[in-house]
Amino acid sequence: MTADLSIPAMLAMYALMLVPLAISFHLQLGIVRETLLSLVRMTIQLLLVGLYLKYIFQLNNLLVSLLWLVVMLVVANVSILNKAGLKRRLFFWRSLAGVAASTMLASGWFILVAIRPDPIYDARYLIPITGMILGNCLRGNVLSLERFYSGIRKNENEFVTYLLLGASLREAVRPYLRDAVKASINPSIATMATMGIVSLPGMMTGQILGGAMPITAIKYQIGIMICIFVAMAVAALMNILLSLPIAFDDHQRLRPDIFCNKT
Amino acid sequence: MIIYDNISIRIHRQELFKKVSIHLAAGDKFVLCGASGSGKSSLLKCTVGALPISEGSIHVAGMELSASTVSEIRARVAFIGQEPVLGAATVREAVLLPFSFKTHRHHSPDEARIQELAGRLHLPMDILAKPCARISGGEKQRIALLRALLLDKTIFLADEVTSALDPESKQAVMAELFRPEITLLSVSHDPEWVGACNHIVEVADGQLKEKTG
Repeated sequence: MTADLSIPAMLAMYALMLVPLAISFHLQLGIVRETLLSLVRMTIQLLLVGLYLKYIFQLNNLLVSLLWLVVMLVVANVSILNKAGLKRRLFFWRSLAGVAASTMLASGWFILVAIRPDPIYDARYLIPITGMILGNCLRGNVLSLERFYSGIRKNENEFVTYLLLGASLREAVRPYLRDAVKASINPSIATMATMGIVSLPGMMTGQILGGAMPITAIKYQIGIMICIFVAMAVAALMNILLSLPIAFDDHQRLRPDIFCNKT
Repeated sequence: MIIYDNISIRIHRQELFKKVSIHLAAGDKFVLCGASGSGKSSLLKCTVGALPISEGSIHVAGMELSASTVSEIRARVAFIGQEPVLGAATVREAVLLPFSFKTHRHHSPDEARIQELAGRLHLPMDILAKPCARISGGEKQRIALLRALLLDKTIFLADEVTSALDPESKQAVMAELFRPEITLLSVSHDPEWVGACNHIVEVADGQLKEKTG
């Protein structure tokens, strides 16, 4: 079992935050308030999730677990669209379908084919694994959608030239699609290449702290990295392809009204 | 060959044209003249659906411009802008770019045809191997034209295509675009170009007024 952290120990951890806060204050970065707010939010959110997960794990009920997954997917989807600067009203369902399908494919494969827990929907596997994949998908999708649409906006003349030279919409967006998918999965390729040397992965560390054998922890880590990579690549591609019918009008022109007002 | 029927064009809430009509017959050579910002280039772009019209209709080669015909119209019409985008790393890739798309995939030109057209447009033979970033504005204009000629298009929309050309190259470009079988709608301030057109249209205050050519 992992050694528990007592309240004084936690207070000591919070005290460590005084160092970056002092730096921020000294350099007048103007982010003291924001940092404190984030710290408070993190604490409250994790406490609530901790309580919630405790009951979900105790219940170990498929419907309750699925409901929790839906909540995670919806929150991630809203966050993706907000950060990518796209209107939620227009893209919500398509983006949700892309994120859900890719996350479910990867986590489903890991749980159903590789781990095969008993029961198969065991919340202790289903929720953390899907959550980790989804969290990474979120970052990748923000990057890919943002890169894709900003690429076309910045190079509108080039994009229109492709159309005027006879390209279909799919053909005309291909260079930007390629660039966007690459941008979303490149960080994962770099992470995989340095894993274990530069960074000690979170899942593995967590399992070792939880008392698992290092070799078991490593196998899980490899599994989760592959799942994250697969889900990110599939989600990046799916989300862009699913967004095309909404983002372009019937003359293949990029609709200016799909973007939120912020630049 | 191209009919603009009572079209209005509104871009960024500014009305550029209000209910204008023009009719280009096959082989006509039209030139639009007028102050910059008067909407000449926008009119050209609307013809191939790159910009929307707010009312009226456009017919090209017997087809009304719509969602179902826009691809076919784009395949039939060549649009060459003042600063053409070549959209590839090297000139050869740029010239062959349209043939990488499904519409033109089966019509790839042979090397002899490319060389012959390049020669007619006064392009140096070694230009095909050069990166697009290293060629001049005048060369870009002629490469865009070369690409359109390789596609055997006969309807041309040309926006100030001689603006960066020396007199010899300009003659070469004009020799190609003023062939009888070509229907040309152009924007130009070049007196020689304007003089060669059989319809001169003045653009002012959102209206088109034909001058006697």
